[in-house]
Amino acid sequence: MKQFAERMGTLGLIACGIILVVVLGALLAPIIAPYDPTIGSVTQRYQGMSAEHWFGTDQAGRDIFSRLVWGARSSLTGPLIVVVITAIFGTTIALTAVWFGGFVDSALSRVLDLLFAFPNLLLAMLAIAVFGPSLTTAALALAVAYIPYSARVVRSMAMRERNLPYIRSPELQGIPGAVITVRHLLPNVAPLIVTGATINFGFAMIELAALSFLGLGVQPPEADWGLMVSNGQQSLLNGYPAESVLAGLSIVITVAAVGYVGERLGGRAAAGRKA
Amino acid sequence: MLDITTLSLTIGPDRQILRDVSLSVAAGEAVGLVGESGSGKSMTLRSILQIEPTGSEVTGSITLDDVDVRALRGEELRRMRANDVSMIAQNPHAVLNPVLPVERYLIEGMHDAQGQPTRTARLRAGELLEQVGIDAVDRVLRSYPHQLSGGMLQRVVIAGAIAGKPRLMLADEPTTALDVTTQAEVMAILDECRHELGMAMLFVTHDLDLAAAVCDRIAVMKDGEIVEIGLPEQLRDNPQHPYTRTLMESRPAGITWTLEGDTTP
Amino acid sequence: MTFILRRLAALIGVLIASSFLVFAAMYAAPGSPENFLVQGRTVSPDVLAAIRAQYSLDDPFLVRFWNWLINVLQGDFGRSLANQQDVGDLLAGRLPTTLMLVSLAAIIIVVLGVGLGILAGTKGGIVDKVVLLGSNLGFAIPTFFAALILMSIFSVGLGWFPVFGSGDGFFDRIWHLSLPALALALPSSAVVARITRTSIREERDSEHSVMARARGVAEGLVMRRHVIRNSMLPVSTIVGVHIAGLIAGSFVVEYAFTLDGIGTLLVNAVQRKDFAVVQAIAIVLVAAFGVINLLVDLLYASIDPRVKVQQTR
Repeated sequence: MKQFAERMGTLGLIACGIILVVVLGALLAPIIAPYDPTIGSVTQRYQGMSAEHWFGTDQAGRDIFSRLVWGARSSLTGPLIVVVITAIFGTTIALTAVWFGGFVDSALSRVLDLLFAFPNLLLAMLAIAVFGPSLTTAALALAVAYIPYSARVVRSMAMRERNLPYIRSPELQGIPGAVITVRHLLPNVAPLIVTGATINFGFAMIELAALSFLGLGVQPPEADWGLMVSNGQQSLLNGYPAESVLAGLSIVITVAAVGYVGERLGGRAAAGRKA
Repeated sequence: MLDITTLSLTIGPDRQILRDVSLSVAAGEAVGLVGESGSGKSMTLRSILQIEPTGSEVTGSITLDDVDVRALRGEELRRMRANDVSMIAQNPHAVLNPVLPVERYLIEGMHDAQGQPTRTARLRAGELLEQVGIDAVDRVLRSYPHQLSGGMLQRVVIAGAIAGKPRLMLADEPTTALDVTTQAEVMAILDECRHELGMAMLFVTHDLDLAAAVCDRIAVMKDGEIVEIGLPEQLRDNPQHPYTRTLMESRPAGITWTLEGDTTP
Repeated sequence: MTFILRRLAALIGVLIASSFLVFAAMYAAPGSPENFLVQGRTVSPDVLAAIRAQYSLDDPFLVRFWNWLINVLQGDFGRSLANQQDVGDLLAGRLPTTLMLVSLAAIIIVVLGVGLGILAGTKGGIVDKVVLLGSNLGFAIPTFFAALILMSIFSVGLGWFPVFGSGDGFFDRIWHLSLPALALALPSSAVVARITRTSIREERDSEHSVMARARGVAEGLVMRRHVIRNSMLPVSTIVGVHIAGLIAGSFVVEYAFTLDGIGTLLVNAVQRKDFAVVQAIAIVLVAAFGVINLLVDLLYASIDPRVKVQQTR
């Protein structure tokens, strides 16, 4: 614990605190949120900040604070789906390629190259064109788009480990490859996978919010930060900035916090991104 | 000519690299600085040119012909570096900018540092390379550092180092990073150039025999301190400090340095 | 030269494979095109058959793919199912806006990202702290959010820039597109600035820079010739990757500013399941993405003499 605190530094611990607050907000939304996030009242449109409505109401008279709290749910689950699937498939592909090498490795590389040819958002939009807009489609498609990044990093690290004695000697003893891979190789690349997932979480959050903003992710009247930014666009230009600005800031702060923690854990390189 | 007096260097709060190092080099003299890696030899050299790592704390004084070189700043420091003292570092592949051709390295030293006209510098670059025993002058001038061997590149660095006819040459393990086959050759060229120009040299090495072959006097360094200074034969026949004795005993038997064109008496 | 040819061949291979992938995905999509065309109206089987024949919907999958591919290679992207327009014309009409937007954003990334990075890396102190903080926050700002904020401050609030639309004529266009381009370039600039700074810091203490100083080369020259020049090698790849990334980012910004670019066209086509348009844009974008990445690699090989040798050997 102390080691973790040292690694994070003051800013890192603040970032962890922010993440904790957002996660708790998402988990406890039904308890925290004072109003139903999807139901508004025409008489309550564009209310300013008050004791009743902390952050005011939107153009449909819905409580913005409640929508922000509920919005944390979809805004966090989406990226979570993305990074979990990316980690599982990316790692499996990488370790399979490394263990068998040769033809398997180069065949898998070709497949990943093909995925690399698509910008992430384009791949997601193609999937949405085929299967229709929803958070699940968007998240699954983004996961597919992220897999090559994750697989590339894990592969190159596992490749280095592959020829080390602790992997070679059980192999010569005739222990099955799957067993060695899971028991020895996986634990050694695990920290890299965790760091990569952390960094990817931020990217996924922004790209999923972008898809929701385009009307291709989370569908109204559901509360979601990206959707709220888009929903509040007209209000913002008419002088009611609360909805868009607060939802946008929630994204910025969460992504910055997650990004900083990831950076402290081991940097962007672990996500396979040069950026 | 060069006088180092009670030089100490610390990095950070508690890493003392050099402790009261005192050493002098007379005009035209070659002094060897021998010790194992991490003993502070390189740092002594780098302090002379003020290129010790950032964050180092340096005390003591270094004078070159009674000019305090540690106190030089700006243009005066630059002139001293360009004209009076030159340095040959261990790894020539790191010394040359990897994206510039060899010719640019030589011209940079003569034109940008020493202020010779570009045209003169260009002409001299070829002559200098011939002087350090390079035949395919044009090819080498056009090459990028990664296209040349370490030995070839170290000759280029030597050529650059003698271009300004400096009074003092600082050599930091100039052959350690090279192939065994080219080490003697490069060393011989360095030694020859030094004698031709009558330069003084402070020669850092971990190889006592090599130092004995090219130097007039040898200083033995251990843990940031100079433990013994003497003539090569003194150190060989009658080492005073136990560490010198260990160094003498631990050398591989039967290998002695002989230099082609050796002009040391 | 063989390096370029090999990379070109690889790019063409990937393009064919990805167009197959896209075509297959659209083919397998639930809901048939003729139902889309008749839009729920009841039509006689004869009319349906005529439509199927007109769009060659009864041909086997591979035949249809082959015909489509051949047509695309001849510049014929088919017709939009939604409004019967020629997809090629549709794309051509939208292309200038997107091209201009992406180019402007690319320039901003280079000027702002690389510029601030060099400033922070060479100056240090408070400048460095500010740039570092800015880049830590900057990469977290979604482009669409930056778009809204910029729009509300500079267009609605101060009235300096138009709110919507892409303008006519060259300079009017630049004026209309400068805010969108800024929004689009902001996150990338943040990342580029930070990487530039790190790269400069590393080069500043590199042996060849130190030895150049030790040889009496003036500090300004050491900075320009050794530190900044060499730190641009890794930076140029990063900049390239980010410029390629702008292609996808531009959809979102175009949509936010309701610009009539390829991105808005794609978003609308996706929403309306206008597959002919989606397919065409996907292929064009994948090609553009691949070409930019290829150009970046070639550029890198041409500025770093070490790369060329390794690749062609």
